[in-house]
Amino acid sequence: MNIIQVENLSFSYTRQPILQNLTFAVPGGVFLAIAGPNGAGKTTLLSLLCGLLKPKAGSVTIDAANVNSYSVKRLAQKIALVRQEFVPVFDFTVAEVVAMARTPYSNILSFETQADMRIIADALEVTDTAKFARRTLRELSGGERQRVFIARALAQDTPILLLDEPTSFLDFRHQIAVYDLLKNMQQEKDKTIVTVTHDINLAAQYCDQTLLLAGDNAYYTGRTQAILSCRNIEEVFGVKTVALDVGQHTFFFPLGKRAAAREIGGANMNPAGY
Amino acid sequence: MEFLTPKKLILKVVTCLLLLLVVMAACSLVGTQKISLAKALSRGDRPPGQNIDYEILLIRFRRVVLAAIVGAALACSGVVLQAILRNPLADPYILGISSGAGLGAIVAVLSGMGGRLWGGSTISVFAFGGALFTVWLVWFIGHVASRGQVTSLLLAGVVVNAFFSALIMFLTSVARSDQLRTTVHWLMGNITEKDPMVLRVSAVCILGGIAALFTISRRLNALTFGEEEAQALGVNTSVTRLVAFGFAAFITAVAVSLSGLIGFVGLIVPHAVRLVVGPDHRQLLPLSALIGAAFLVLADTIARIIVAPAQLPAGVITAIAGGPFFLILLAKYTRKVALLK
Repeated sequence: MNIIQVENLSFSYTRQPILQNLTFAVPGGVFLAIAGPNGAGKTTLLSLLCGLLKPKAGSVTIDAANVNSYSVKRLAQKIALVRQEFVPVFDFTVAEVVAMARTPYSNILSFETQADMRIIADALEVTDTAKFARRTLRELSGGERQRVFIARALAQDTPILLLDEPTSFLDFRHQIAVYDLLKNMQQEKDKTIVTVTHDINLAAQYCDQTLLLAGDNAYYTGRTQAILSCRNIEEVFGVKTVALDVGQHTFFFPLGKRAAAREIGGANMNPAGY
Repeated sequence: MEFLTPKKLILKVVTCLLLLLVVMAACSLVGTQKISLAKALSRGDRPPGQNIDYEILLIRFRRVVLAAIVGAALACSGVVLQAILRNPLADPYILGISSGAGLGAIVAVLSGMGGRLWGGSTISVFAFGGALFTVWLVWFIGHVASRGQVTSLLLAGVVVNAFFSALIMFLTSVARSDQLRTTVHWLMGNITEKDPMVLRVSAVCILGGIAALFTISRRLNALTFGEEEAQALGVNTSVTRLVAFGFAAFITAVAVSLSGLIGFVGLIVPHAVRLVVGPDHRQLLPLSALIGAAFLVLADTIARIIVAPAQLPAGVITAIAGGPFFLILLAKYTRKVALLK
């Protein structure tokens, strides 16, 4: 059963189309990476998936119903969104920010119930943010803030989690921590996770499926191992890569013009895809 | 972890309410004319109208109530506009209400339509109409410009404010000196005794507006994170913003028509309360209303007695007292936060 179904989706802000005739499906419980060059429409696609933008043509189906047929509140019970971290205008504490995730389950005014508080505490716990629950977001580092926003998305308790470059400002340790956490959520809670990423190698390690947007309305979609190849990457990004197999994963290293010209290493490092 | 529970909220509201009542009672007793509370309350032994102490107390009390509802309205409106515009510098007048109301008032003065209209003074009625018209205009321009984006609303507000201010300046420059005095006094923000019926109707309007705003306070929390964030959190942003904007504008217009342009309350009180209790609108809104009420009651009482027998406009006091008070609060709390780390 496909929890997300995208059919012939087209979108443009101006006359220049960003996405055209995009069709793909995400089965429930799958971890999907959306990759591609800057301006290929990755974030736009994410906004279309969660109903913030309306498609010019085609449709997005979430759990067997058109995304635009949901009320804002019902949709927020299906999809949680993690955008790039930022410092909010007012000094809410970490606990208050995570508590906002329970808004779609509240009626007019209403306070957090005991059940809400347990869910909030759990989300703080698994994201390792409980220790600064009483601090404000301004007092945290970028990586800590990003984890708070992920905690909020978890507390929203939705089957689908959308993330926009969740690791863009994080160091190695925190990048791995975020992806480990997402993988756990996928495996333990059977969440469907869609993440926009620039990091091909994290996608290669963690994501079951990959959607590679080329920027000229072409795209590749399928199992990550099949989609991520030196050939596809060169076609989409215009950059030569070398591939290196480690265990069951393949990793890719971009080659600068000079390195590519000399074609170093390529021959003896098993260039997958060539 | 600490979460806001109804019990905690009620406790805080009751505390602030008691504070407000004490301030109101004290301010009713203070004035140029010394009155005895005991005499004022023992009204049974004299025919009506004969108990001077009682009459004075009643007049003062009505004025105190007026100051309280105006203060509550301005503070609440400030809270809400700061939230939906995501701008801590926003105040109730930022979207053109002040210039609109001012224009209405000066038109009323210049056209010589003194006297009363629908139970209120002509100036009040015109100011109310002017305020609502401007708000509608700003909202309309903001929506035509870019579907009500926050920045375009702000820009529309600034432009309309500037244009109407120019009109006000033009009209002031052609006004006679007696008309000028009335206008300027009004523009400075002035609380005077009002008809009890006007007071009652206004109080109901303002309290109703505050209650309506209170019902969306949890959604306002999410809205301070931005339109798309709020929507992803299940908040119907267009409806919430319309309710917030509409009721905030309405209670401000009522307040302005009662008292003219009293500045600083709507800017400072929300900030001060936020510094102490944090930004959760479920408590920020009601507590700001109560503290705003107490603040304006105090300011008006000072305005009433400081240069007695003359009176200052209350707006002068709020501006003079508000600024330094706010700076002290800011310094104190910033230090406290720094020490906690």
